[in-house]
Amino acid sequence: MTMQRIKPHLPWITLLVLTAVVGVVDPNFLRPANLLSLAGDIVPLFIMALGLTFAIYIGGIDLSVQSMANMITVIASIYLASLGAWVAVLCIAAGFGLGMLSGFLTTRLFVPSFISTLAVGGVCFSVAQWLSGNRALNMDAEQRNATFGWMIGHTGIVPNELFLAAALLALCLFIERRTVLGRVLKAVGAGEPAAKASGINVGRYKMLAFAISGALAAIAGLLFSVKLSGGAPTIANGFLLPAIVAVLVGGTPLTGGVGGVLNTLIGTLIVAVIRASMLYLGIEATQQQMLFGLVLIAAIALTIDRSKLRTVK
Amino acid sequence: MYQLSSVDKKFPGVHALKAIDFHIKRGEIVGLVGENGAGKSTLMKVIYGAYQPDGGQILIDGKPVHFANPRQAMKRGIGMVFQEQSLIPNLTVMENIFLGYEAQFTRLGVVNWKAMAAAARKQLAKVKLDIDPATVTSALSFAQRQLVELAKVLTLEERVEGDLVILLDEPTSVLSEDEVKLLFKLVRELTSRASFIFVSHRMDEVMELSDRIYVMKDGQVMDVVARAEADASAIQHKMVGRHVDREYYREQRQKPYDRSRKLFEMRDVVLPGRPHKLNLTLHPGEVLCLVGTEGSGREAILRTIYGMLAPLSGHFEMKGEALRGFNPRRSVAMGVGYVPRERKIEGIVAGMNVYENMTLSQLGRYSKAGVIDVGREKALARDWISKLSIKAHSEFADCGNLSGGNQQKVVLSKWRSGGSDIMLLDHPTRGLDIGAKEDVYDMIRDMSDDGTGIVLVADTLEEAIGLSHTIVVLKDGEIRQRFDCQPGAKPSLYDLLHHMI
Repeated sequence: MTMQRIKPHLPWITLLVLTAVVGVVDPNFLRPANLLSLAGDIVPLFIMALGLTFAIYIGGIDLSVQSMANMITVIASIYLASLGAWVAVLCIAAGFGLGMLSGFLTTRLFVPSFISTLAVGGVCFSVAQWLSGNRALNMDAEQRNATFGWMIGHTGIVPNELFLAAALLALCLFIERRTVLGRVLKAVGAGEPAAKASGINVGRYKMLAFAISGALAAIAGLLFSVKLSGGAPTIANGFLLPAIVAVLVGGTPLTGGVGGVLNTLIGTLIVAVIRASMLYLGIEATQQQMLFGLVLIAAIALTIDRSKLRTVK
Repeated sequence: MYQLSSVDKKFPGVHALKAIDFHIKRGEIVGLVGENGAGKSTLMKVIYGAYQPDGGQILIDGKPVHFANPRQAMKRGIGMVFQEQSLIPNLTVMENIFLGYEAQFTRLGVVNWKAMAAAARKQLAKVKLDIDPATVTSALSFAQRQLVELAKVLTLEERVEGDLVILLDEPTSVLSEDEVKLLFKLVRELTSRASFIFVSHRMDEVMELSDRIYVMKDGQVMDVVARAEADASAIQHKMVGRHVDREYYREQRQKPYDRSRKLFEMRDVVLPGRPHKLNLTLHPGEVLCLVGTEGSGREAILRTIYGMLAPLSGHFEMKGEALRGFNPRRSVAMGVGYVPRERKIEGIVAGMNVYENMTLSQLGRYSKAGVIDVGREKALARDWISKLSIKAHSEFADCGNLSGGNQQKVVLSKWRSGGSDIMLLDHPTRGLDIGAKEDVYDMIRDMSDDGTGIVLVADTLEEAIGLSHTIVVLKDGEIRQRFDCQPGAKPSLYDLLHHMI
């Protein structure tokens, strides 16, 4: 067995090993109820990572997802009262549109995606601050329950978030495996010049990848604000690093072309287990990002396809 | 003094060098000729340490040596003057000359520019270049930069004990006649300092400069000719080799094409950067070959037909329809297929399997409302795998792992299965071994039989002559001559060369 052969299987092996280790340290961890609530808690992050997967799959990155989610929590909190359930449409449209903008900047103006999405993220953050007056906002609890209560309840012992996550995962998996969009995105990630030489309008599909990333970040933000019954311009801070870690640890490298949304599911579960284990090991919340930073570096170093890189700057 | 003894080099699917014996004496100029793909560049890379041989030995003064990288080879006196120049344009001449070897001028990490300039002047004097070493390199002419490159390699003289061997890779390709003369004079004088290996596709130059000439073909040294007995046509013959018979290029399968219909017609088309008007017509079943040296404008014509380049003026009609907008999507929709020169970059997507590659240009045909019918894709791939006997374990095989010939078959089936009847083939046999080349020739004849028009930029002149119905010779973007190539009445190499150069 060579490293090349093992590599695609590393993510789920890592997940099993980590789960087993934490389970040995604290058998309570493996109780189904505990695992389910753990999974339910990670859903907003998972949805964000799901969208981010598309941006990374084509060899780009979307650094705006966290600010996007922040902005959406504010928008959802403000407009729930006036728009009711339609606020969800507003949120998703805003995410899709701003993602499209990042894509436009990247494909038409040739601004590298890490900087175009960083800039769009800056815009989102500022919009959030401006709309909220830089304060934390609250939703009307009754209206929230009436409109979006279904998102956060329980069916039996299963948190409803998991159904939402499963539905979105199924949708993304369908896009990735069965649609022209998914096929072209794979071709772009694995070999963009050949896709272009086949007469494909590559730019349009790349823009859609960023739009999907934005839309899913918006859904993540919406769910997060429903869970917390409110919003604030910094409420989702701390999502970006774990979301990128989830995608990369799952096995979609920064160079793109391989991996996909199922990998991101595994990656997110790894992040969830790491988070939980930190509780058991007594690592404070303030220290978590340090660990995620280290994991991120390790994940990039392990997954990146160096044959695709000429120089790194 | 420098010697290769039965050196072997293999790449996946290609035996690039077969038991090469090579030696060069002190102060000698050795020429190296061969067709594209004969193994010249692989041999050079072995000599200057970029490749490590799989078998055989490298000997310097009779002692075996091993180079893990070019820098180690340089330490033993082997230097390379690159065809695509390796100087960094925004650095000064002296910085370039001593790039990587600044330590001799530094104290505590600070560079003594005066000392470096003085040393650089000394190097420039060796190549008789009288310029200020502090000049930024981008301000120099191409010929001057080439001399700087040579001066850079000549610094080895002071750094290395023992003899120098300097490789010159196509050094004359962009020089004017006078510049070539000066360069040759200089190289002859420099033989007191070093031995030279001179690689060029211009036979006359190689014969003029070299003391001995190695003729390569299919990874082997066919012959070593001393200058006294060098004869251009004999060398040509050895380069192309033996049985370049009619069967090799499937000439017996060449049939007359349909002159009554036109697939496309260019009338007085002017392309950006070239003043000449181009007139070209392609008929069903015709193989139209564009012949010319590198930079003669063959590429631009292919790119125009494929829609990547828009003409400035003129009339371009495709299948009876006058074209205005130019983009690849439109061309593909009109039945143009493009087999690019860079097979691994533009031809196939490594990391995608056979069926995903084959439908990449025709996803619309295999999907409904954006949803792909994977079952039909797989059926298509299985069909073509058996039709062209593509060696892949199944339609799920990663195209990146196929051999070059099979990758090319996948690219060809991508277009043929989509019904393309105007095929643009840019060096379709580049880097393929002989068997795979013959497969490609067969496929070209098959496509002709089906009424597909083919625009071909061939890897070699022989290939162009052997395959084509019509040859168009280009020089500096102008159509110089047309040849009708009926089997048995084909033009000779010299007929073409005469118009190319």
